[in-house]
Amino acid sequence: MISLPGLNLAAPPTETLSVPTSSITREQDLPANTEYRFEVSFSRTLTVRLRSGTAEYFGTELAPSTTYSFQGTKGAIYTWHGCKLELGGQVESDYVAEETPMMSHANLHFALEMLRDRSVVSNSVEMGPRVLVVGAENAGKTALVKTLTSYAVKSGRQPMVINLDPRQGLLSVPGSLSAAAFSSIVDIEEGWGSSPISGPSPVPVKMPLVYHYGLKDPEEGKLFKPLVTRMALAVTSRLEEDKASKQAGFVIDSSGTISAGKAGVYENIEHIVSEFSVNVLITIGSERLYSDLSRKFSNRSSDETVNVIRIDKSGGCVDRSEEYMKALRHSQIREYFFGHGEDALAPSSMTADFGDLNIFRVIENDESGFAAGDAEDYNPASTGVSIYERITPSSTLTNKLLAITTASPNDKHEVIRDSSVRGYIYVADVDEAKRKVRLLSPQPGHFPGSAMVLGSWPEDVAGLVS
Amino acid sequence: MSLPAAEVAADFRDALQDLRMNSRPEISNLTLIAKENTEYAQAISTELENHIRTTRPEWKLPSLYVLDSIVKNVGTPYTVYLGRNLYRTFMDAYLVVDQATRKAMEGLLRTWKQSVPESMETRPVFPANVTGDIENAVNKIRTVAAQTQVPRPMHALPARPPSNVAWRDTSTPPQNLPRYPAPNDPRRPAGFPPTPQYGASMPVATPPMPFQQQFNSPQPMSSVDLADLKAELAQLVATTQTSFAHNPADRDIQTKLQALLSLKQILDTQTLPPQQLEAVRKQVRSLAPTPAPLPAFAPPTPLQGFPQHGIPPGFPPVGALPASAPPNIAQLLAGFRPPVQTTPQPAPTPQPPTFNLADLLKRVSSPTQSSSVPAPAPFQPPPFTGFPPPITTPVPAPAAAVPPAAANPTANLAALLAQFNKPGAVPPPVPATPVQPMATPQLPPQSASSGPAPGSAEWLLAALGGTSRGTPANGTPFAAQPMARQISAPTNVLNDIEFTTASMKKPRLHLISRLYEVKPNICATCGRRFENTPEGKEKKARHMDWHFKVKDPDAAKRGVHRSWYMSEKDWIDYREVDETTPATNAATTNSVAKPKRQAKDRYVLVPQDPALQHAPCPICQEKFETQWNVDANDFVWMDALQVGGKIYHATCFEEYSKGAGIPMPSTPDSVLGKRKAENGVGVEGKKVRSF
Ligand SMILES: Nc1ncnc2c1ncn2[C@@H]1O[C@H](COP(=O)(O)OP(=O)(O)O)[C@@H](O)[C@H]1O
Ligand SMILES: [Mg+2]
Ligand SMILES: [Zn+2]
Ligand SMILES: [Zn+2]
Repeated sequence: MISLPGLNLAAPPTETLSVPTSSITREQDLPANTEYRFEVSFSRTLTVRLRSGTAEYFGTELAPSTTYSFQGTKGAIYTWHGCKLELGGQVESDYVAEETPMMSHANLHFALEMLRDRSVVSNSVEMGPRVLVVGAENAGKTALVKTLTSYAVKSGRQPMVINLDPRQGLLSVPGSLSAAAFSSIVDIEEGWGSSPISGPSPVPVKMPLVYHYGLKDPEEGKLFKPLVTRMALAVTSRLEEDKASKQAGFVIDSSGTISAGKAGVYENIEHIVSEFSVNVLITIGSERLYSDLSRKFSNRSSDETVNVIRIDKSGGCVDRSEEYMKALRHSQIREYFFGHGEDALAPSSMTADFGDLNIFRVIENDESGFAAGDAEDYNPASTGVSIYERITPSSTLTNKLLAITTASPNDKHEVIRDSSVRGYIYVADVDEAKRKVRLLSPQPGHFPGSAMVLGSWPEDVAGLVS
Repeated sequence: MSLPAAEVAADFRDALQDLRMNSRPEISNLTLIAKENTEYAQAISTELENHIRTTRPEWKLPSLYVLDSIVKNVGTPYTVYLGRNLYRTFMDAYLVVDQATRKAMEGLLRTWKQSVPESMETRPVFPANVTGDIENAVNKIRTVAAQTQVPRPMHALPARPPSNVAWRDTSTPPQNLPRYPAPNDPRRPAGFPPTPQYGASMPVATPPMPFQQQFNSPQPMSSVDLADLKAELAQLVATTQTSFAHNPADRDIQTKLQALLSLKQILDTQTLPPQQLEAVRKQVRSLAPTPAPLPAFAPPTPLQGFPQHGIPPGFPPVGALPASAPPNIAQLLAGFRPPVQTTPQPAPTPQPPTFNLADLLKRVSSPTQSSSVPAPAPFQPPPFTGFPPPITTPVPAPAAAVPPAAANPTANLAALLAQFNKPGAVPPPVPATPVQPMATPQLPPQSASSGPAPGSAEWLLAALGGTSRGTPANGTPFAAQPMARQISAPTNVLNDIEFTTASMKKPRLHLISRLYEVKPNICATCGRRFENTPEGKEKKARHMDWHFKVKDPDAAKRGVHRSWYMSEKDWIDYREVDETTPATNAATTNSVAKPKRQAKDRYVLVPQDPALQHAPCPICQEKFETQWNVDANDFVWMDALQVGGKIYHATCFEEYSKGAGIPMPSTPDSVLGKRKAENGVGVEGKKVRSF
């Protein structure tokens, strides 16, 4: 029914009552080409409003008549032209920085634009740029990927973003790997934005393709590389037919661990480059990494050149504590079920019998008795049958996330591994005596009876439902 | 994100200040603000009323349309707040606007007597007693006007045919185009397919503004003056007639009236040379009575019914006018002075406030008002510090330098690109494969002209010209589309960026305008930018519609939830939908992308009938899942199918019909769908009890 605000009130609402205490705001002047860097905890909120000039948050422009709220965020608002901001709320720390690598980021964008124009001119015969961003943890990879995406969208492109870092999800929970085309603005408050919900959304939803990885860091064995191969296949198939995406190309975000390398060999980077036909490889920060990679790729036969570029690490990149990262992961998981801020979602609580759940747990390499189970190593535990172990629910499942795949429980393990996921359910409670499980599902009604994958990542999330 | 009332009201006021013509995006935006801030409805309503009261007569209609849009699209509590003073708001405006605007307002009034189209609500927009009072007053005024023969149109220009293409360039919605965004109105009865024509069956609800009509058919100045003069004269005739009616014995008045009438006849039937016209005008002005210093007409008790004769208070019955000062329309009009005059009035003689068409034309063609979406002042980027001084617009190319319009546009483009290319840069993007003309960027020939080196920073800056500087003080309009096209074209400007670490560090601030000034028109809600071209404006209009649609304050209460992600196959076939592309395009793209409709993709609109609403699927006894559907623009039950008055899960029915040998109703691709369902990867739902 229609709600009738104001009508059922005896008197019109008094305006003074609704003034929040945090409405004490301060002005912040930003000269051109500087940025306002801030850190705000999860228990506080910083509000930002653009009073004049222009400003952007990792490439997405601040709208003049919207007040943005940040929680549990470390970030920067940059201005090319100078601006005046109105700030409210509480930060842990903040300052204005004059030295930023934004010009490099913009140059990179315009260089990519050139390749996109070429794709357009070739009538999509040539593919747009395929970019991979690598660098240590907290080097600013995700920030750069976001800026490049926003700028591309702003330039009327439809770039694809592919996240290969299981520590932080893209339009999904941590532990997942995903890909999505961006045709609409990147959300400022909600990370990358929102995957589809059953109602209208104030910022256009993005349509991710999601796979479950389930481990904290990419290994060099039976899970990460095959998943990369699978995702590359899906993305390439899409680009073959989707002109707008093909022209815009894609940007791959990666985990810091693949940039560590082993004695100057970066197996996972090489694998990604070859599977996705990467032609622009961005390294952030480390000279060593840049030197290793440019040596590696400049020696390649020139039929497909890989341009290796080094970009300075921004002074704004902060090392994020394990505690912060954990809170960030939890908030991503919470958002998956409950939505963000005012746009609350209603997940469903339900019970299932043990027999309803077909759970496959990822067997990690160190469990198999082989210390470093590389794919090339012989491993009796990975000969096509035992990527997973099938488990019966037990109380250890409590507070864990299960990935609902599109594979049947009877499928081979490789099929389960390579299948995309429909979504995640959360185990709120296990009653071993009654053999029942209490679950939190994003959607009411039945969920697919397909294979569910349980990994060691993300870690348990206590208290998602009380 | 909601702000305290004063701030919201101030925002709303600011946005209102910019509203000077019938601009759908602006009206939608204002409606959106109102919709998002229903808790401050009172403050917003007051703001709107004040604005309608104080703004210039020619800007009143757009703001009345804002009122209209808010009460129709948002409804309560605005209907309540705005209804309280509606009589006054409406009548104050009605009395001071020109004839064409009055007609438009009368049309508006008619729609308020009906219910909101496409809504379940059967009651009229405003209560009958409110609209009834206004209608009575309007009728009275019209009667008086008719009796005193005030000529109806002041600037009698033929109405434009509604489908005139010229309208597309203005952002005014012509009345036959879809009106305000059809909101995803939860009140709309299910079962009715959404009609794009929100006000299709309604009388003129958002008619074009009168001065835009004039703008569309400008006339030579002499006829402009003539029209003015005629209007002045007609008013004078009217005044005099009224006086005569009350003083039939007064010979002076009678003589004057006769003189005026013959003058009028001359003007109506003959073409006079300018000097004579001027003489006539002098004559008329000297005859015009000193206007009564009446303030704008304000009925004292607007909400009460009218006294006995059904005449609004303050409007004495015509037959009983006091002999001294008959407050007829002309005088009321004459007493009104537009609060702000852009052009100072040189003539000290009081003038009837007829709208001088010349002035209007001037105003209309001046940039700040002609641009339907003026760039908000605070967001004019300050001049860039790192920029060289502005350079004049590139000199048009000498004819010889212009590549001939080749039959093969590709060659043409290639030639141009070749000219731009610097040696040593990345190879020119000339494709080996044939190129379709449509895919090539539009590169105007003169961009390869003399002036700053093509492709250089100076060249780009010059090409940016008007767009990069915001609106200069002198009011030069934004250099609209031709400039914007030039900028979006030259790939070559980027060619000096190489994929090297060193090249990334070079400052190239001039390129930043591609992210900002190239699209000067920003959405105040989300920051998305649009070009200042007719196409850009259309896109923005659709974008604002979209904002409006998705802003559903009730959505949260409906149990909106996260949906399952797409399957790999669906994702590969999926094509992004841009809210700024016309709906038809999006629909075609979609249908191309997903030619096969599976049973699980079928849906029905959530039924209105409570019995149906609560009935589970007759086959599996499960309830249906309510979900927002973008295509249907409504809440629907997915995987659902209506057969013979009952609603089934489409997949359930498919299973059942397969066994029973019944064809799936109207599903040409049911065979495919079936096969899919059989091979489906875990599509068969495992049912889990909800508790
Ligand atoms: N310029 C900046 N100013 C302030 N904070 C920043 C800036 N760039 C990145 N950050 C923050 O620093 C942290 C690390 O950056 P991120 O891009 O996530 O690194 P990575 O993806 O390489 O691990 C993030 O919280 C990010 O928001
Ligand atoms: Mg990252
Ligand atoms: Zn917007
Ligand atoms: Zn059913």
